[in-house]
Amino acid sequence: MRFGSKSIGAMFGEVAGALFKKPVTEQYPFERRPVQDGYRGRLVYDPTKCVGCQLCVKDCPSEAIHLIILDKSAKRFVIRYHVDRCTYCGQCVENCRFDCLSMSSDLWELASTDKDSFTLYFGSEEDVKLVLSKAAARIAMGPSED
Amino acid sequence: MNEFVLALAALMIFPGGAFVLASGLAFEWIDRKLVARLQNRLGPRWFQPLADLVKLLAKEEIVPDGVHAGLFKGLPVVALAGALTAGLYVPIAGVAPAFSFPGDLVVTIYCLSVLTLCTGLAGTNTLDRFSFVGAIRTLTQLFSYEAPFLLALLSPAILAGSWQIAEIQEYAQQHTLLILLTLPVSFAIAIIGLMGKLELPPFDAPEAETEIVAGALTEYSGRGYALFRLGRDVELVIGLTLISAFFLGGLANPIEFLLKTLGLLVVVALLQALFARLRIDQTVGMWWRVGAALGLLQILLLVILKGLGLL
Amino acid sequence: MEPAAKSGKFSIPIGPQHPALKEPGHFEFSLEGEIVTSATARLGYVHRGIEKACENRTWIQNLYLLERICGICSHIHALAYALGVEKLAGVTAPPRAQAIRTLVAEMERIHSHLLWLGVAAHEAGFDTLFMYSWRDRETVMDLLEGLCGSRVHYSANTLGGVKCDVSPRHSEAIHRGVDFLEGRTRYYMDVVTHDETLLGRTRGVGTMSLDQAVALGAIGTTARASGLARDIRVEAPYAAYPDFPVRISLETTGDLLARFLVRLNELLETYRLIRLIVDHLPEGELQARIPRRIPEGEAISRVEAPRGELFYFLRSSGSDKPDRIKVRTPSICNWSSVLVTAIGHKLADMPMLLAGIDPCFSCSDRSVRIHKKDGEVEQWSWEILRQYGIDYYR
Repeated sequence: MRFGSKSIGAMFGEVAGALFKKPVTEQYPFERRPVQDGYRGRLVYDPTKCVGCQLCVKDCPSEAIHLIILDKSAKRFVIRYHVDRCTYCGQCVENCRFDCLSMSSDLWELASTDKDSFTLYFGSEEDVKLVLSKAAARIAMGPSED
Repeated sequence: MNEFVLALAALMIFPGGAFVLASGLAFEWIDRKLVARLQNRLGPRWFQPLADLVKLLAKEEIVPDGVHAGLFKGLPVVALAGALTAGLYVPIAGVAPAFSFPGDLVVTIYCLSVLTLCTGLAGTNTLDRFSFVGAIRTLTQLFSYEAPFLLALLSPAILAGSWQIAEIQEYAQQHTLLILLTLPVSFAIAIIGLMGKLELPPFDAPEAETEIVAGALTEYSGRGYALFRLGRDVELVIGLTLISAFFLGGLANPIEFLLKTLGLLVVVALLQALFARLRIDQTVGMWWRVGAALGLLQILLLVILKGLGLL
Repeated sequence: MEPAAKSGKFSIPIGPQHPALKEPGHFEFSLEGEIVTSATARLGYVHRGIEKACENRTWIQNLYLLERICGICSHIHALAYALGVEKLAGVTAPPRAQAIRTLVAEMERIHSHLLWLGVAAHEAGFDTLFMYSWRDRETVMDLLEGLCGSRVHYSANTLGGVKCDVSPRHSEAIHRGVDFLEGRTRYYMDVVTHDETLLGRTRGVGTMSLDQAVALGAIGTTARASGLARDIRVEAPYAAYPDFPVRISLETTGDLLARFLVRLNELLETYRLIRLIVDHLPEGELQARIPRRIPEGEAISRVEAPRGELFYFLRSSGSDKPDRIKVRTPSICNWSSVLVTAIGHKLADMPMLLAGIDPCFSCSDRSVRIHKKDGEVEQWSWEILRQYGIDYYR
């Protein structure tokens, strides 16, 4: 309502009209906002191209990514990735010269109820199994140093 | 014996007691949903006020150090009792008031103010600085809107020539258009005065969340807080019923009750969403300058017209 | 001009936990009735030791650490740091990278000012404006997500350039978004200047004259609202600002309403600038090579954050880790203006005064060396600090 330059309730038009519009609230988890390409979600690793240069490990600000070398000459590597330490900055992706790493735009719902699911091992099937069994054996022997 | 049972049922179940409590919760939900939709968001689901009530009742009541424990625990009960008592004399749900006697308009208005007085007392009872400032603001606001609100509700009483709510309502039912034409200012003051009484925005300076946390009720939790909130919801229903009974042509049946009170609630929700919060000095200034003056003018006009025999 | 000592009979603490503050900080207001007679402030609740942590991380790792000093002005911190490191290394980022950096910085300014509009309205009790402005802010956050990959902490910068590129699809989306936001901003300008209830809370409240602003060292939008024309984008242009000059938004009244108007006018200016940059983005590469070990030296970089001048001092001793990084954020300079202008106002105006300078507590908690009047400089080592902590809680 206007009285010359003064106005009481200047937002009246919009506010009253809002009763007839759909609310903007997105009812997650029933409605999910579509993610745009290029969104920096969880890390994805392609082991076939990796040469083990460890440039990604060197520049990570939060020590979220480690390379486990099973056999350097045969290029068998496993990456241990801590989802909870990662800051999703993308520096590792930027550093890799062989396009092994990328950040997925689908995997962004990363909440979990237990800590174990936050440590992921990437690599070829047998390599990962080998690393996990070694880790299990080490845990069975006693506290590890890392 | 029969009368006693009927009176007890009217007091506890319908239209007092359980019914007015349930309708208070329902009206609180409608109000919150409306304000949310006006702000372009979703708003709570229908059982939210009930869920809040149940949760609060289940929580531990923490009595802070240095308060008078009896007052602390007793004030919420007195506040709710006052609000519920006021409901006995108004035509809730469109049926005739449970109890009616000459002069019950004054008693109702007084009972509605008991909640505000208890809130103010509760605020000064504690040692907390926020509660103290909130209590001072509550009582200041009480002194500012009470007079115009009273004058506004008095104008239909003067027209009808009676102080009994049932008779005023009957008069309003027969002379709906007359009241609306001659008393538009009183109608507006009554609605805005109700918002002041319930401390709804823009008159929520006494419980300004961004300045004094929660005002007079800062230290309250659990059962005491639940009772204060229930009292406020009940007053919302009673206030809307009273205003629509006087100014919108009486409430003859439950359908009219629903339509008229909900229509008023939409207006109240719109007024809540439109304005920024008024500072306490701006509230007092507005009520004592604009509100009281307009209210007095309206009454003066009425008295003159009645004296001249035109009404 | 010194802030008044504690006086008056009754003092109200706002903070460290208070619904008015979005971050912890302690303000003690002494009251007589509703009038404030003195105000004191105590900060330091969000000190995280970031400057010290920078000394243990490499130059590239620090980029991401410094970005997280503040969530609202994260890109501008990273930009100041990157510009400083490039100055030390003697490298200039290519023009396309500078333009994209400027573009993201301006989009961050939009997001910050719209956030401030909502928060200031919420402090005034005007929740409707709060909800509406934050709804519109989602537009610019979606644009930033599409361009850089994240809604907060965009990580668009890298040492020597940027990591993300603007494609034709992006520029089209940016044009659409900016057109929508411009319409909305003009509507909010209309609401702020005409609505009587909001004007009653902002007009004539917290007035700071030009002389006071100069004496108290106010910077940024707070100073520009009092008529002090300081803007690093104009005085010492960095990144692509020499090619895309900016017009300063100035008001002279110095009250809260002026601060609203300055920020809204800056938004309109930003929209013009963004359209210009997107249409005239220079071609070229995105990054320049920068060595891992930065040569020895000291560098200063100053940028205009949404809140004012952001100042970085970097010192390198030739290794791959910095020797010292000192950050002076704009919010530190504006606190004294609140403490001085608060006197004489009512308690209800305090939250709005605090919000009026657009405070960022996370930015403010840096280490400061205070020189006492008698010239003695006291510096505490780690052991003294630790002992002080133990004694305090005993």
